[in-house]
Amino acid sequence: MEVRFRSLFLVVLALLNSSSLIAQEPVKAGTLIEPKVTRQDINEANIDSENFELGLLVGVISIEDFSSSPLFGLRAAYHINEDFFIEATYGQAEAGETSFEVLSGGAPFLTEEERDYSFYNVSFGYNLNGETFFTDNLVFNSATYFTLGAGSTDFGGDERFTVSLGAGYRLLLTDYMALHFTLRDHLFNSELIGEEKTTHNIEYGFSATFFF
Amino acid sequence: MLCLRLKSGGHKVKMAFQNPFNFRFLLLVCMWLCTTSALSEELIQAKVVEPYVEIHSGPAGGYPVIHVAAKGEWITVLKRRTSWFKIITADEIQGWIKQDDLHLTESSQGQPVKLFDGSFASFSERDIEFGMLGGSFEGTPSLTIFADWVATENISAGVSVTQALGDLSESQYFLVKAQHTTFPEWRLSPYISLGVGQIRTQPKANLVQSGDEARTSDLYAVGLGVRYYLAKNFLVKLEYNNLQALTSRDENEEIEEWKLGFAVYF
Repeated sequence: MEVRFRSLFLVVLALLNSSSLIAQEPVKAGTLIEPKVTRQDINEANIDSENFELGLLVGVISIEDFSSSPLFGLRAAYHINEDFFIEATYGQAEAGETSFEVLSGGAPFLTEEERDYSFYNVSFGYNLNGETFFTDNLVFNSATYFTLGAGSTDFGGDERFTVSLGAGYRLLLTDYMALHFTLRDHLFNSELIGEEKTTHNIEYGFSATFFF
Repeated sequence: MLCLRLKSGGHKVKMAFQNPFNFRFLLLVCMWLCTTSALSEELIQAKVVEPYVEIHSGPAGGYPVIHVAAKGEWITVLKRRTSWFKIITADEIQGWIKQDDLHLTESSQGQPVKLFDGSFASFSERDIEFGMLGGSFEGTPSLTIFADWVATENISAGVSVTQALGDLSESQYFLVKAQHTTFPEWRLSPYISLGVGQIRTQPKANLVQSGDEARTSDLYAVGLGVRYYLAKNFLVKLEYNNLQALTSRDENEEIEEWKLGFAVYF
């Protein structure tokens, strides 16, 4: 009974679908039914241009002398051409304790508020474009890139001028979605534990971004 | 047997497609929907007029050529990334062609396709510039981001925000600027600028323990710079600024600043 209902429905639908063709002029043998394609001219306004990239960043940052902490942030990029891009990153983490603080159990170097670590940087990036072959048939476009940038780090109650050097790998899952694996060194001068020195703060990051 | 389970309000609804008949039904509905939408689609198309156009597997010159679109073939443009265009041919082959190759096609009216290509000629038609400058603010490292609106060939207006991070203090300032380029037709061209804004200076935390010693002053700026059109939509800028901070002390503070950076334009 159920099957009969379905077949009836199917026939009705098939009739509806073909009725539009039947209602028109009878098709002459040998003629093709051309789809009604209206051609639009190419101009800047009607082509979807995807040069901006925006996404979220998670990772781990090793803050020199203050152990490693999870990192969360935002990442935006503008692709100038196939080789170069500009990237802006903002990240937040909370610094841990120095070995001295842990071992001595004494007075902390920094207050809770001063342990908040945040940074921004604007970098210039260079792509080495390529393809990644996971199997013979599963191929994704990808790029290995290098970045050089400058920005600021807010840590220990002060903002510090920060130079950042990085390398990353971008895997384009689709034309508009990418995964990034990045390694970046944030360099800034700090006198937090005595003498002023240049600190290296290494960040391992993973981000997912969308092109728009 | 394929099961599709939907959870709605705690009740489990189970739709079991037990015979292939249901599949045919679904397929038919899908096809019906697809054909009706395809018949009324507006496609952004161009016809290849040169012997052939190379189609790459990705949006860069290094990606291998996977196909060619021959003379007379219609290609549909799907999207753009930098100066590469994703296209699909009549045979449903997808790939990327470069902008120079897209200019080897023509529209349905027989007009050659010509898009803004960021050449020096199109540089004069730009509306907006934005970029970043890094430099020295009285000997301390500084970073500036700016956005300019290009009003005429010669005159532009813009805003900039700068952060200078020294060993003793930290300064932030913003400026609203007007800029005049005397010879806009030159690739390397000088410009002058005048600006007003505000500056906020805060001593480093290790120098002042009492807390908020930050001071805010009005700021006037006179600047001189050169810009160089490098390639595509890219500029290099070198700037010198002389800043006067109107402090509440007896003397105004004079600040000298050098900056080098880049800008992109649209």
